[in-house]
Amino acid sequence: MADFLTALAQIFAPDTLLYMALGSVAGIIAAAIPGFTVTMAIVLTLPLTFTMEPLQGIAVMLSVYVGGYTGGLISAALLGIPGTPSSVATTFDAFPMARGGEPGRALSLGVWASFFGTLISTIVLVVAAPPLAIVAVRLGPWEYFSLIVFALTIVASLVGHSLMRGLIAGVIGLAIATIGPDPMMGRPRFTFDIDMLAPGLPFLVVLIGIFAISQLLSELEGTPGAPREAALIPSAIDFKTWQVMREALGQPVNLLRSSLLGVFVGAVPGAGGSIANLLTYDQARRASKTPEKFGTGVPEGVVASEAGNSATAGGGLIPLIALGIPGSAVDAILMASLMVHGISVGPRLIMENGDLVYGMFIAMVVASLLMLVICTLSMRFFLRVTAIPTSVIVPVVTVCCVAGAFALNNRVSDVYLLGFVGLAGYLLKKLDYPLAPLVLGVILGPIAETNLRRALMTDGDWTVFLTRPVSAALLVAAVLSVAWSVRSHLKGRRMLLDA
Amino acid sequence: MREPAGSGPAPSDAAPAGEVAAERARLVSYVVLFAAAAGLYVVSLSLPTSRWEPLGAGSFPRLVMVALGALSLVAALGSVRKLRRLGAAPAANPLVAAFFARHRVVVAVFAAFAVYLALLRPLGFAVATFLFLLAAQLLIARWSWRGLALAIVVAAVFSFGLNFLFATVFMVFLPRGILG
Repeated sequence: MADFLTALAQIFAPDTLLYMALGSVAGIIAAAIPGFTVTMAIVLTLPLTFTMEPLQGIAVMLSVYVGGYTGGLISAALLGIPGTPSSVATTFDAFPMARGGEPGRALSLGVWASFFGTLISTIVLVVAAPPLAIVAVRLGPWEYFSLIVFALTIVASLVGHSLMRGLIAGVIGLAIATIGPDPMMGRPRFTFDIDMLAPGLPFLVVLIGIFAISQLLSELEGTPGAPREAALIPSAIDFKTWQVMREALGQPVNLLRSSLLGVFVGAVPGAGGSIANLLTYDQARRASKTPEKFGTGVPEGVVASEAGNSATAGGGLIPLIALGIPGSAVDAILMASLMVHGISVGPRLIMENGDLVYGMFIAMVVASLLMLVICTLSMRFFLRVTAIPTSVIVPVVTVCCVAGAFALNNRVSDVYLLGFVGLAGYLLKKLDYPLAPLVLGVILGPIAETNLRRALMTDGDWTVFLTRPVSAALLVAAVLSVAWSVRSHLKGRRMLLDA
Repeated sequence: MREPAGSGPAPSDAAPAGEVAAERARLVSYVVLFAAAAGLYVVSLSLPTSRWEPLGAGSFPRLVMVALGALSLVAALGSVRKLRRLGAAPAANPLVAAFFARHRVVVAVFAAFAVYLALLRPLGFAVATFLFLLAAQLLIARWSWRGLALAIVVAAVFSFGLNFLFATVFMVFLPRGILG
């Protein structure tokens, strides 16, 4: 109870609420701009939180996260362009609804569905994370190493178009993590007498380079100087806030089913808002008495897709808080921000930093409320940001990345590293390697190595990973996830050949 | 997407030229990764072992490099098979030239970014950033006097303004360079 009250006091401090409100605005704006992802917004926020208290910093980043999932709705509904990959299904019905003369209703429905989706996912998070952590603290280094192997294989299986490239990306991440001092004895590895490599590659610089710089370069691939598509904004938009809230609440089954599905998808490492968005939309259509109307602007479609993608935010925090395993790139960044403050993330997080975890639960609720208020009051302003030209956004955000990378350690060499990593990330992206497994490999690499070495210090026999039941089950699950992915790939190819 | 000139045997009618070029590029990446994994595996052999534990500093990197090498090899073999299926020989082609031709703006902006990073220390954040922002906006946008005015305003705000923000709010002093 004391932890809860401490957390409550920290979150409701005026400066924290102000920073969270700014974070919500930043997330909404970032996601409303097509091509600027939620991940990039969180990466850019990270350096700004270093001077804050750990809970304050993480609360701000959660606000960006929650705001970002909603911001994607704006360009999806009004332009028919998903602002983020997690709002693809939102375009199916929100855009026709807006085109049909009800843009305010489309936006309001999406905002309310996002709000309820986040709330439901937070409730599941509060209920599920503590018991899971109690089980997880009993895991030894054998189980932990196997858990990381499982997480990496499942991420590689679910992200991108090719399992093989997903696995390679994950292993590249592990290889990057081996540069610099080894995590147990501190012996230098692969530094080749280069000063820049001596402390290892700072994973935050890798994160910024891989996600932000590579994405910004990709944004330049369109026609030079082409203006963004004109927004479909009529002179007056009537949001009908309360009426639409009743409309959203009038679909309790759809709302609950979509939110719970979103939580489940968010909790699975590698799956995320983009999958949840499509899956929940599909389920809503299957359950509907009038599935043929989906795609013409029905409210059920908007509610399902937005509740589903927003609920992944809480779902993704379950493995992060309970196991110390980030399920997505955004969760990896949240984990990194805690590590920067010297907080070790793992099953003991709840026991050793209860106030922080309670604070994260409260922050999720507050962030969703802030998002709701901000979106309702200032949606008209956010509509304008979709018109900012690429020629301004890309250079400005690039400069923000440079300033952020420098601020991490006050080292110009980190900025040079940012350039190299950004270029490498862009080339990998062009070659269709998924980047999320790579980043998870960089973050989980030292944890995997430490647990592997600890496990073998206790017993030098490698078969112990197979004789301990939980470890064996996790390794079997890893093999099954790869086998399932290969099977799906072969099945898909066979269907393509038959067609 | 056009197939670059001089790219070896023509692919079959069913194989889109872009798909063949992309697969060739991926094959090159698998070979590069395999070579890197093999090289780093050899380097890791010289890392010291430990008296206190069965695995030393080099064991985990060796494990990772073996995994990377094996996966790259399997992927490369799959890529060669795919190229044969597409009716194209897995020969080298001017991938780099074709890439540069298709991504002129990306290459130009990244080149400006590289110069910016090189000038960051001597010129300082504010001046180097102003020049980069101006150059990058002009490279990306279509030329107009209005665009130039906007570019100058944006460059000034996000170079000197950002420098001021970091120094006064976050107490982070970005490189000062010629402004001392």
